[in-house]
Amino acid sequence: MRADLLYDECAKRPEGTTFFQRDLTSMQVANDVEELVKMVSDLSKRHLLQPLQFDGETCWKLRPRDIADKLLKLVPDERLLYQYIDNAQTEGVWSKALRAKTNLAQPTVTKYLKSLEAKDLIQAVMSVKTPNRKMYLLKHLKPSEDVAGGPWQNEGDFDTALIDIATQVIGKKVQEETCIKVAGNWNNYTSADRQAAIAHKKVQVKGVPDIEELLPVQPYHPPMEPAQPKLVHRTNPFYPTTASLAEYLNSIQLLRGKTVRESDMEQLLEMMVLDGTLEKVTATTYRTVLQPPKQVYNGFVDAPCGNCPVFDLCSDEGPITARTCVYFAEWLETTSEEAN
Amino acid sequence: MSYTQRETPILVELCTFLVEDMYGELASRVFSVLARFGRQRRAEISKASYLNSNQISLGLVILTQQHLVFHSPSTEPVVFYDIDWQQSYALVRHAKIAHFVEERFDKKTANVVSNLLTLGHSSVADLREAYFASYKGEEGAVNGTKVNGSVNGVNGNGDTSKTNGTHREQDEETLGSPDELYAIIQTLMEHGWVIQVAEAQYLSAEDMHNVARQQALNDRWGGAVPTGIKDKDMLAHLIRENKRRMRDAWLEVPQFSSRKRKADDFDYGSNKRTKLNGGGQYGSTGGSESSAEDDLVIRVNPEKAAVAMRNEYLVSLVEQRISYSTARLYEIMLRSLEKNIPRCFEEYPDPPPLNVEDQPQHEPNLEHVVNAKDVAQRAKILNIDICNGLDPNAIARIVKNTTVGKDGVLSPAVDPSSLNFHERLELVEAHFKLLEDHPFRFVVWQARGQYRVDFDVMAKTLIQQEIENTVLARKSNIGMKLIRALKKKGKLDERQLCNTMMASPNDIRTIVNDLTVQGFVQTQEVPKVDRREAKLSLHLIWYDVQRAREKLLHDTYKGQVRILQRIAFERKKIQELLSKANRTDVAGNETKYLKQSELDDLKKWKEVQEKLLLQLSREDDLVAVLRDYCGPLLTA
Repeated sequence: MRADLLYDECAKRPEGTTFFQRDLTSMQVANDVEELVKMVSDLSKRHLLQPLQFDGETCWKLRPRDIADKLLKLVPDERLLYQYIDNAQTEGVWSKALRAKTNLAQPTVTKYLKSLEAKDLIQAVMSVKTPNRKMYLLKHLKPSEDVAGGPWQNEGDFDTALIDIATQVIGKKVQEETCIKVAGNWNNYTSADRQAAIAHKKVQVKGVPDIEELLPVQPYHPPMEPAQPKLVHRTNPFYPTTASLAEYLNSIQLLRGKTVRESDMEQLLEMMVLDGTLEKVTATTYRTVLQPPKQVYNGFVDAPCGNCPVFDLCSDEGPITARTCVYFAEWLETTSEEAN
Repeated sequence: MSYTQRETPILVELCTFLVEDMYGELASRVFSVLARFGRQRRAEISKASYLNSNQISLGLVILTQQHLVFHSPSTEPVVFYDIDWQQSYALVRHAKIAHFVEERFDKKTANVVSNLLTLGHSSVADLREAYFASYKGEEGAVNGTKVNGSVNGVNGNGDTSKTNGTHREQDEETLGSPDELYAIIQTLMEHGWVIQVAEAQYLSAEDMHNVARQQALNDRWGGAVPTGIKDKDMLAHLIRENKRRMRDAWLEVPQFSSRKRKADDFDYGSNKRTKLNGGGQYGSTGGSESSAEDDLVIRVNPEKAAVAMRNEYLVSLVEQRISYSTARLYEIMLRSLEKNIPRCFEEYPDPPPLNVEDQPQHEPNLEHVVNAKDVAQRAKILNIDICNGLDPNAIARIVKNTTVGKDGVLSPAVDPSSLNFHERLELVEAHFKLLEDHPFRFVVWQARGQYRVDFDVMAKTLIQQEIENTVLARKSNIGMKLIRALKKKGKLDERQLCNTMMASPNDIRTIVNDLTVQGFVQTQEVPKVDRREAKLSLHLIWYDVQRAREKLLHDTYKGQVRILQRIAFERKKIQELLSKANRTDVAGNETKYLKQSELDDLKKWKEVQEKLLLQLSREDDLVAVLRDYCGPLLTA
């Protein structure tokens, strides 16, 4: 058929091109306007061309043959639904909104949406903005950010595994740029005579009766672990920014097929600040938090009471008291009174 | 339910425990009556307790001597008594204060301070008398001047283990001459550790306010109460000013007449001793030979301990967060400021002006400025490794002839003691840069070579940090993240919270619930329509620092009470053994008279007690952070 020739000709253009009448005429498949109109209407009937409106002018878009074939087999109501879903493009459309637009009964809508889904024409996604709404959009489309969320989200939920990995990668990158790893022996000046000098000083200090002037003498602090490298902040580094880190993450292609915008990166970095891995230097720059060698909490939570699950029930009298406390007994390695 | 039957407020319980531990049962009975019923007269105390008049007098004398109770001004016809909660809680800090003083001065000074703490307050003459009346040992002599014999708790308490511990080294802490004592007292007063006793210290907040108000009225309006709005503002301002003036007067150091004292020295021998022997009542000396300051009545400044505790806390924080050497330099810096800081925050501040333009942009306190030069100088004396904790590249830039190899190894190595002044100064400033860059803003750059410490700003961060710490220890990272997210963003609904924390609602819900139950986080329901329907309401989660702070403070008090109760319980368990070990013939000869199992039990008890007391004092550190470093936080 000659109409297929027109379709093939159009298919040579880049995907998603819209064709106006002048474009189709210039392809010189049809001999005159009348024939062209016939061909177009033929293709439209077979759903190979999708009629559109642009500035009041009619134009068309190509549909892949397989989809067109499926569309041919649809019942009218299904087709109507399909059209509305198609119109919504990547934003998707909510089933209730569909019902309102099409004026169909709810069971019909549900039934046809199911059948469309079964035919691989549309897909349902959870909206991030409104978690309890199912949004429908065409199968071959990727849901927009509004619906699916940024690169960190998957099917409406945060992709924890992905976030963890991204956090590690970014954390490492920031650490490289803002910190320097120093070997244990980085400044290996502690020689024997220094030890002697300290000892000598100690003798001196003790020997001199008027120790007020020398006090308080701090004890010499030995390096924590000589072989253990440790991190220190660089002096005057170029602090990484949201933009530079976004660029870095895109360049290593950690997120396949997804690009990270600055706003996405900011979200991740702010989360890392809350997490305690990074700290903010200025509005857009970050650096690593130096983790203390040993996490020290406070006196309250180190005692049994601070972590006690029955702390609020504990009183002076009754089944739970300081005397009957099992946690105190465990901590002090003594025995407690038996509760009665 | 009557008030007496309700659950005792936790601070009452804690302080009663402390008083009982330190000053025995009688004092604590009177104390607990006052604590439970509040401000009252003597007659009411005797009605509420089963004590006779004599016993109540005795109890009140102890409490008054120790500054644990307020009483209304002596000009009033009837005297009301009320509890000084700050001072009562401060009993837990006695050992700490002595320790701080020893660290900053020496053992002799610490001994004087711990004796002053035991005495509550004392005139200088009495103190001298106690030290030099007999040479048997200062502690026994000082005990002799005590108001009554019921003071038995201190030694058994262990709270003063630090002070007791110092007694062994008699040589280092025995005062040589009265002159030395005077010098020590003068130094302590100059540094603000010891202050004068004044009657206003016995005024409760309400009485103090009335006195200050009356004074303002008399001074300006001739006793009449002004009516205009402007005048009322003026009055409020004058009251605050009077309060501040009253309080600052205590800190004044009188002119010590050192020359005169030297002259007195010669006849310090026997006649003095006979004359004043047994004279325990303070202020009763006044002999012709006594020095001018003998009449001076002094006590330990209760607010100074918090200042020292704040410094220690900040230093330990720097050590954890930045590096050991930076912490040492910071310590030098804070210590040098300490002398000028009598208290952590102004209790009677003037309110900020109402219109926004007049409000000062957080006026920096110039008393909190330190020269980097001085710190560098001091670091040299203390032999601190000022290279440690810095970027090797920075050191190579500062120190000549040194390069950085791979792995950041310096070649040749830099010995910090061999550096010249200029290099040292630059290294110290590099450390200060680290302090300044830290989100806590440990120091603020003031001018070239000068750095300032903004304690007030930091105090809020510290409270937040301790709350986070507590949550972190209980609930792992996600709880802390939640608190921080809410702190940063304010009230959030669940979805916004998930977005900020980048976590799924299911992970967050349990944590929100737990934290709500613990009282760190609040939830709020705002209906969108006039029916209250769950679906049509906004469910907000929010966090208020002040609330969380109060809750944690309350919990910490409770934790302290539990520790004291546990100590009492552990002691009771081996009461028999303890009384045996304390018998005069057994004490000192334990190995001879006690069985091996008994010795083991005794050792175990000591360990347990030490562990519990250490924890008590660490919980006190937390109390200080939450309560003592800044006033109520009005805005979250």
